[in-house]
Amino acid sequence: MSAVLQKLVNQPYKHGFVTEIESDIAPKGLNEDIIRLISSKKEEPEWLLEFRLKAYEQWLKMEEPRWPNVKYPKIDFQSISYYAAPKQKKKLNSMDEVDPELLRTFEKLGVPMHERAALAGVAVDVIFDSVSVATTYKQKLAEVGIIFCSISEAVHEHPDLVKQYLGTVVPVGDNYYAALNSAVFTDGTFCFIPKGVKCPMDLATYFRINTEESGQFERTLIIGAEGSSVSYLEGCTAPKFDTNQLHAAVVELVALDNADIKYSTVQNWYAGDENGMGGIYNFVTKRGLAKGVNSRISWTQVETGSAITWKYPSCILQGENSVGEFYSVAVTNNYQQADTGTKMVHIGKNTRSTIVSKGISAGHSNNSYRGLVRIAPTATGARNYSQCDSMLIGDKCGAHTFPYIQVRNQEAKVEHEASTSKIGEDQLFYFAQRGIGSEEAVSMIINGFCKDVFQQLPMEFAVEATKLLGFKLEGSVG
Amino acid sequence: MSMVTGNSYLESLLQGQPQLPPSPLAWFNQLRANAVDRAGTLKVPTTRDEEWRFTDISPLAKLSFQPLRGASRVKTVDVERFYLDEAAVRLVFVDGAYMPQFSTSPNRAKELGLVVTDLSTAIATHGVAIEPHLGRHAGFEHNLFTALNTAFLHDGALVVVPRETAAREPVHVLFIATQPEAASHPRCLLIAESGSSVTLVEDYVTLHEGAYVTNAVAEIALGDNAEVNHIRVQRDSIHAFHIANCAVSLAHASRYRSVSVALGARISRYDLNVLLAAEGAECTIDGLALITERQLADTHSSIDHAVPNCTSRQLHKCIVDGAAHAVFNGKIIVRPGAQHTDSTQSSRNLLLSGKTRVDTKPQLEIFADDVKCAHGATVGQLASEELFYLKSRGLSEVVARNLLTYAFGAEIIDRISIASLKHRLERTVLERTQRD
Repeated sequence: MSAVLQKLVNQPYKHGFVTEIESDIAPKGLNEDIIRLISSKKEEPEWLLEFRLKAYEQWLKMEEPRWPNVKYPKIDFQSISYYAAPKQKKKLNSMDEVDPELLRTFEKLGVPMHERAALAGVAVDVIFDSVSVATTYKQKLAEVGIIFCSISEAVHEHPDLVKQYLGTVVPVGDNYYAALNSAVFTDGTFCFIPKGVKCPMDLATYFRINTEESGQFERTLIIGAEGSSVSYLEGCTAPKFDTNQLHAAVVELVALDNADIKYSTVQNWYAGDENGMGGIYNFVTKRGLAKGVNSRISWTQVETGSAITWKYPSCILQGENSVGEFYSVAVTNNYQQADTGTKMVHIGKNTRSTIVSKGISAGHSNNSYRGLVRIAPTATGARNYSQCDSMLIGDKCGAHTFPYIQVRNQEAKVEHEASTSKIGEDQLFYFAQRGIGSEEAVSMIINGFCKDVFQQLPMEFAVEATKLLGFKLEGSVG
Repeated sequence: MSMVTGNSYLESLLQGQPQLPPSPLAWFNQLRANAVDRAGTLKVPTTRDEEWRFTDISPLAKLSFQPLRGASRVKTVDVERFYLDEAAVRLVFVDGAYMPQFSTSPNRAKELGLVVTDLSTAIATHGVAIEPHLGRHAGFEHNLFTALNTAFLHDGALVVVPRETAAREPVHVLFIATQPEAASHPRCLLIAESGSSVTLVEDYVTLHEGAYVTNAVAEIALGDNAEVNHIRVQRDSIHAFHIANCAVSLAHASRYRSVSVALGARISRYDLNVLLAAEGAECTIDGLALITERQLADTHSSIDHAVPNCTSRQLHKCIVDGAAHAVFNGKIIVRPGAQHTDSTQSSRNLLLSGKTRVDTKPQLEIFADDVKCAHGATVGQLASEELFYLKSRGLSEVVARNLLTYAFGAEIIDRISIASLKHRLERTVLERTQRD
């Protein structure tokens, strides 16, 4: 059995190929001039340049965080190119104008662009190395007043909205990588759901890092106005490279009164080879502010890729009765390292949060859950339930749990549970008895283990995630 | 003994410590010298250190220290009330100094087949037995307070339970604080040789309500198949600082059970480090902190599953009233290869007032796949369903609350095997938690 499974787990990375497109690359290194260059290339207003420079100034004073339970060689921030954009002559009006090479790439990836997008009912704002190339379904969304575009476009078209919210949830000096991102972010997604509007379809964007040695600094800002609701999907694949690539994104969500934002991620970036060479460093700051009463922010993530994952999608529950949710599956194999979890900061009265985290480690990998539940003195009646389960496959990997619980209010209730398990031989035997092979059995057990999280994913993503986990892990048990 | 620490706070803490006579044993002098060196290089922890993140001991630095006075003023009537009826053997220390007049005679222990004596006399007679253990379990490399305690190693309790000896009655080690603005460094070493069993009561009490510092270190070594029942009661003054480190090492198929109860001290910090060093070892660790006003009780435990087939159980409870602050950090480590580890841990916190603060972190670090590890933590008030259930049976709101609060604490107290101590602590829990 072991040999078959070994073969499966060691499948080469399916999405590893490099698209040859002429790129417009800034010289390596980071300084004020580079920031000014990025800003001028993107024809940005003065206030945004100031925002960037302020972030850069703070970044210079900060130190790289050393507390995560991950190890990697020191990153030389001066050897990274901070701007890479596919050369573009003019704005594109339809898909036909898009570089056929790009379209072929999407086909290989299986991105549902036009027809497939229509079938899936998904509007895809394709991000290809930092610059938005084509946006579909924009018109349809515009009819109900939803703004869904690249953030650079939003800076020009809706400067007031961007100015009002950018950096309010994740301040420029929040942490080392957020400051870096604020200084050099090149593109990302902007989404505004107006008052009372329920977004008629799931919004999606595909991220893909392409140019070798170019860091990707995405910036996403989603605003849900009063009574609105939206479900946003983010999916990632990246081509295979040997040099490590840094990805430091910032995602900010703002939910006003009665707004509901659901953010789902499937991350399958290149994780490095079986010896731990290469792979993406994924250092991401994701935070949602449940600002209004009865607002709700829900994070769902399936993290299977990246050499190192360092992210804590968080909720600041400020509005009364606001709700925060975090559903996560993190899978690590070979020499991958993941330090991920969430922060639930309860500020408003009767705020509620749920954390369900499933960590699966295999090979020589290390998988940490790090979470914070903080009940502020003002959060009377706050309620939290956390569950973090780990599964270990093999005896060379590690699973760690660091749940911080900080309670400052008597009328709060916090519960935390954690468990560790393995796929037992008795379980596999039980399946075998019923004529189910070990491969399928492992897949079923893993899917059962992750069920609570997969249930939260939109249907298309759930299918993809199930497959992904199967690929990642099947060979590890034996 | 003079110490240069390059740290003014430490200098003041060291003031008033008596000159320690050198021991005839070279290793003993060396141990103290190493600890002095180490203490000189370590810094006083601040809240910027992860291990002390929630416990700010800066008030400790503001305390001025007076030289220790002789303990002759202490009368038998003062200390008698702390005696335990069940204890056959008793060692009493006043402000860290051994008091033979209050302790049972070493011959009494000898009759029972035990060695129960003070460390400074035992070092001459039992040096060979002590050497492999003293200062070997409670490492002071990264712990300033343990380094200080080891640097002042002189008096202390030594309990040796020889092979295949079952001590029927408990051994009571009583540390009494009598002087304000003083620092004492109690030390306790228990060696349970293979196949032996013993119950040890480590008891910290006070005769006054002033401010003082207790910096205790206990080391417990269990041989193969040994069984130790460790009861630790901390009843220091409400203005005192209690810092303690207990290191336990378990050999093959040995069993360690511990109940620790923290009631006193303005700031208390208890580090419990259990090393499951050989297969088949089992430990059960229970704790209760009952605090009010501006008290801070911090428990840091570490259970290290170094080998396969060991079991650990932990239940830690805090009842937090007034503006008190409870901290719990429970680390469970499963080392590579420690298969078939079975470990559960639970941290339960009951908040009785609106100004309380709880920081809890049950932490798991697992490097083996065939293990059963679970932990849980809860923070909250009494469950409304439980209150309703009692009220539906005719109990008033107040009575129902009192009953449930008492029961919350009694779960831990019940695990104490000594009846008189149990009743005494039950009464304390009652007095502290009942409202009119």
